Amino acid sequence: MSELHPLSQAVMAGRRKEVPDLVQQCLDAGEDAKTIVETRLVPSMMAVGERFKRNEIFVPEMLIAARAMKEALRILEPLLVAAGVRPEHTAVIGTVEGDLHDIGKNLVAMMWKGANIAVVDLGVNVTAAKFAEAVGQHGAQLVGLSALLTTTMPAMRSTVQAIRATGRPVKIVIGGAPITREFAEEIGADGFAPDAGSAVDEAMAVLKAGS
Amino acid sequence: MMSPAALPTTRSTRDLLHQLAAQGHRAPIGTHLILHRHPDSGAIVCEGERLGGVIAETADYFHTPLAVPLMDLTIEKEALLGARGVAPAESPTYHFDEPPGPGTAPEVQGRMRIACDAIRAVAARGDLLPMGMGIGPFSLMTKLVADPISPVFLAGQGTTAAEEPEVAVVERCLELGLEWVLAYASAQAGAGAKALILCEPAANLVYFSPHQLAEGWEIFDRYVMDPLRAIKARLDALGVELVFHDCGELTQGMVERFATLDAAMISFGSSRLLWEDARLVPAHTVLYGNLPTKRFISEQLSVGEVSRMASDLDARMRATGHPFILGSECDVLSVAGSERVILDKVEAFLQATA
Repeated sequence: MSELHPLSQAVMAGRRKEVPDLVQQCLDAGEDAKTIVETRLVPSMMAVGERFKRNEIFVPEMLIAARAMKEALRILEPLLVAAGVRPEHTAVIGTVEGDLHDIGKNLVAMMWKGANIAVVDLGVNVTAAKFAEAVGQHGAQLVGLSALLTTTMPAMRSTVQAIRATGRPVKIVIGGAPITREFAEEIGADGFAPDAGSAVDEAMAVLKAGS
Repeated sequence: MMSPAALPTTRSTRDLLHQLAAQGHRAPIGTHLILHRHPDSGAIVCEGERLGGVIAETADYFHTPLAVPLMDLTIEKEALLGARGVAPAESPTYHFDEPPGPGTAPEVQGRMRIACDAIRAVAARGDLLPMGMGIGPFSLMTKLVADPISPVFLAGQGTTAAEEPEVAVVERCLELGLEWVLAYASAQAGAGAKALILCEPAANLVYFSPHQLAEGWEIFDRYVMDPLRAIKARLDALGVELVFHDCGELTQGMVERFATLDAAMISFGSSRLLWEDARLVPAHTVLYGNLPTKRFISEQLSVGEVSRMASDLDARMRATGHPFILGSECDVLSVAGSERVILDKVEAFLQATA
């Protein structure tokens, strides 16, 4: 961690209040917003994800880091928009119909944003039709489906079917407490993420496989 | 079947649970499964007497005197918000973004009243142990704010309500939630509940970082344990036993703290090795659980494997000598299209060779 830029360190440690000054220091030093995102923020969130996967940190530390990253993006996103810079990939994410749990979905959304993926969060209790519509509306290459309850697993299956019916070449990654890789394969999803830390690797793997 | 009517005091409810444990009793938390065998399940949950009938039917189906209500942990939030003019349809996604004001005193109505009527119907039968159900104040708080994890972590770092508005919202929601939980517990006791299943599934390591807890338990004690102790004191005053349930992922320190609640029975999720937790929980508290019923829907988990798991858990718990009732890690939910698959596995663990 000592080799990382102070901005990356602040994000990883979740020191949100330090972030605006550190971002400004990067800008004052002549770094553009895209460079700051790619060389300061993305590596810090990737490191957070790795530490989470290794059980070195837990959900609260991960969320606090994501809040700090969000603080940086609050400053940088207008600059990125002004410069016409868009992330390479767009994802649509949500918790499937009948399920109101959002912790896992929120964590994955934050990790994907931290990996420089544009994320459209549809929220909880999202119908299959709404997912399918959003994929087209946002030109998404990636969809994340979350479910915590066994009772909502059938909704995950019908959502995958609805998205496939659009004919768009979108990759679908699913996750949640009762979900297994076998279930993902059974319902025709492209990937399975057992936790938020793995969600970035899985997303990149399925996107790469499809490119 | 033993008659709880003959065991009306607090002491005898605990005795009943211990006696059942000594008999090698097994039972799932299965009311949802049986409810959804009825084509008009949606109508049944709106009528207390019929709901009570299904709770009793569940006890009969699984040959247990334990009359366990539906584990519906949305009731308190809906009632609390309803008293503030939030429609039931909006309740699931409604969150406070500033500390809620005093409002009116908790009033038991709507689905709370239906649940109490159901308990009353069960109690009238006389041969079952009428049990109540409720959400713990911490878990209720997590449903009342959009992001509860970050402010809890910040509070654990020493950030006060005066310094951080999100911490202020969390702390006020905890206070408010406790008022409603206490009122609902009292109402269920008044309806005839002899034990209250208090569910605190959010008190787990998703919401509390083990790293932070390693530096001190003040935040866990203040946000989770103090409200639980207040409820326990109320239950003691009402002559109702506490059955504590937490199916979240826990640390040993959390288990040690829950063990101090003097619960008549504790139910943990399948992430816990109950035969190891038996060392942490006093002998006067029965352990319940904890077969991985959330995975019963999976084709990969066979009926045979469930039987094997049940026999193994039973044998390990017998070896500890700790009072134990074999059961589910949480309520067993009925899933459309998979009802038979799930019920077959429940029946498998009930019948597995001891």
